[in-house]
Amino acid sequence: MMLVQDYTSPGCFDESLVEGGGARACSKALVDYVSPMDIKQLQDLQKLADATIARMGVSFTVYSDEGNIDRAWPFDIWPRVIDANEWRQVEKGLAQRLKALNCFIDDVYNERAIFKAGVVPDEVVFSSRNFRPECVGMKPKHQAWANICGTDLVRDASGAFFVLEDNLRVPSGVSYMLENRGVMKQVVPELFENLHIQPMGDYPNRLLSMLSSMSPNESGVPEVVVLTPGIYNSAYYEHAFLAHEMGAELVEGSDLLVGDDDYVYMRNIEGLKRVDVIYRRIDDEFIDPEVFCKDSTLGVPGLMRAWRAGKVAIANAPGCGVADDKVVYAYVPDMIRFYLNEEPLVKNVPTYLCSREDQRAYVLENIEKLVVKPANESGGYGMLVGPHASVQEHQAFRQLIAENPRNYIAQPTLSLSTVPTLCAEAIEPRHVDLRPFILQGANSYVTPGGLTRVAMVKGSLVVNSSQGGGSKDTWIVDLEVDDVI
Amino acid sequence: MMLSRVAERVFWLARYIERVENTARMVLVHSNLMYDLPKKIDMSWYRLIELTSSETLFAQLYDNKTEKSVMQMLLVEPNNPASLLSSLRFARENVRTTRDILPKETWNQINQLHLLLRSREADVQTRSKRNALMEEVIQHCQSMVGMFAGTLSQDETFAFLVMGRNLERADMTSRMLDEGGFFLGQQKHLEQVQAYENVLWANILRSVSGYLMYRQHVQTQIDGEGVVKFLLNDRLFPRSVTHCLFKVVEMLKVLPDGEVVRQEVDELTQILGQWSQFEAGSKELHDYLDSLQQGFIRVNNSIYQAWFIPKHRAA
Repeated sequence: MMLVQDYTSPGCFDESLVEGGGARACSKALVDYVSPMDIKQLQDLQKLADATIARMGVSFTVYSDEGNIDRAWPFDIWPRVIDANEWRQVEKGLAQRLKALNCFIDDVYNERAIFKAGVVPDEVVFSSRNFRPECVGMKPKHQAWANICGTDLVRDASGAFFVLEDNLRVPSGVSYMLENRGVMKQVVPELFENLHIQPMGDYPNRLLSMLSSMSPNESGVPEVVVLTPGIYNSAYYEHAFLAHEMGAELVEGSDLLVGDDDYVYMRNIEGLKRVDVIYRRIDDEFIDPEVFCKDSTLGVPGLMRAWRAGKVAIANAPGCGVADDKVVYAYVPDMIRFYLNEEPLVKNVPTYLCSREDQRAYVLENIEKLVVKPANESGGYGMLVGPHASVQEHQAFRQLIAENPRNYIAQPTLSLSTVPTLCAEAIEPRHVDLRPFILQGANSYVTPGGLTRVAMVKGSLVVNSSQGGGSKDTWIVDLEVDDVI
Repeated sequence: MMLSRVAERVFWLARYIERVENTARMVLVHSNLMYDLPKKIDMSWYRLIELTSSETLFAQLYDNKTEKSVMQMLLVEPNNPASLLSSLRFARENVRTTRDILPKETWNQINQLHLLLRSREADVQTRSKRNALMEEVIQHCQSMVGMFAGTLSQDETFAFLVMGRNLERADMTSRMLDEGGFFLGQQKHLEQVQAYENVLWANILRSVSGYLMYRQHVQTQIDGEGVVKFLLNDRLFPRSVTHCLFKVVEMLKVLPDGEVVRQEVDELTQILGQWSQFEAGSKELHDYLDSLQQGFIRVNNSIYQAWFIPKHRAA
């Protein structure tokens, strides 16, 4: 009992334990299991998990690590548990959100009804560097441009879920979500036997069937490939994992060529073989040197031509990053109302757009309370965390905003929820976020749970694995199923 | 359906694994010989460096030709691209880049072997621990091969694995025969050497796990001539050169456009068929083995020509 008794997470929503060591309903079985243990026993479980990860070779790449291109995946054994009833609502909200985003992308490159209706100002899109004029007029099947979306969710002090951002270009992490589950099954098999934890191993099948549903070739089994920039990419592990799980070829740009007939072929030992669907994990700028970055050696010359001719499907479609922008993000609730005529089921974090005069004035005046983010960066670069910054930094950001208001948004600092985490000598609260993955092709699918990332440093909000963050398994627990028996 | 790039990586994956296994075997058998033969026979740890043609690099890295430096060089030296650990790293890298087509267990298995070796690097300097470690390494390699046999469809991937493994294996077998011949070629202590000839050849057989099969299929006394013949020409023993070449030919049926390779292997099989009675340890035998090794290189190159250099046939 020592382990959980003294546990508190002041000012935050803790997902497992309430003050004094009591468990939330969905975490009760877990807490009952752990309570009789001492710290040594928990550490032994952690060691078992670490050894399993080493044996399974679960790794990720950090660009700065010279000579060491794969590092063991950081993992904490205390899982994050979410009640299935609560999750169902989130699940619907995520599918709803991706559907609206895809309507929006399709609209941007075609009719542009949302601009005409005055719901979203068109300069938001036309000033975005992810807008690709080369995609104008394209109509991918099922109106699905962003086929795979990783949406980052956080919970605030009340425990409510909010969308922090949508990752629509080449979102990663899903393989780690699946591997984390494999590790936990090794470490605490008893809990999996006694609790109804929703399985997530179906993802590769769902991904393959979604990708197949995008195929322009209606007859026969579509040839699906995963296009990777290669072994030095930070997500190479995941590319290989997904290709393996789907039984698809993992190809590099040099393995593919576009024929005079505009079809895409891969070079194999028998000659050339036609490709129907490409799950690309290379950014737009690099996929086709004929159209985008001229000196890219990662891509395939002529790929855009093949795509535009309708001879191959590309997931995610080129140009879909136009909705992966923090200014566009602010308008997603309006998109849901506009395209679907529904109310958003999962809220946005309140967002101030510096391009709007009234909101900019508020940001400039309250900058010390806000988080300021550039519209197009990822991985936590170029941000200002107001409460932790100096007066000089506040001033510098005021200047940046005044010079380029379009490029900045601001949000109130949230106190992210915490989950108990095994630290050196005790379990302590650490902040987490959650990245579920949403698929949209002929049908849509949301992973049960997602990848929970955890800031391993006390008080830190930085969860990126490249910056010392860790991860946890995420359990969607159905409490009612067990009562039925 | 198989990408040229992937085919090449799989082929080399099999070669590296076989190389890891053979290096471990070589060290084991050499240790055994060292304990069996009397001190006055000119037999040193450094012979292993000569056998692997790595004298130049050795001289750059070490001052003394001691057991310690030889074992370091052969087993765990990161600067030696042919060390056991380096071969294992290359193999692991090739699994890492072809994981999409290999059984998942392959990746687990090679990681386990990699962890095993990394965590016990120091053991290579203690004889008893080293021998135990080498046996474990061999077991790991064998279980990978067994896993491929038991879980992979016998398609192109399998074909490239089998070809890579057997070419590497044939090469190693020919080198082991050269090792045997080397001792007998030493004129200086001819009498003492001859007294231990049987011990030597029995050890050579053990190095390729061929002792029992030799006993069962050849039945006669273990002597140089019999062992050379067995390891070159036996049709059934999986590590004989003839059998390794059979395996390569067998795989050609699975693969498209293998004519060039077929021709090279046929020529090599012919050379094997023109067996004449070489005296074990003679220069003739050494030259003969050398010509076989040249042949392996030609087969290897023809495999490159046939499948690994990407074709640009227009659609």
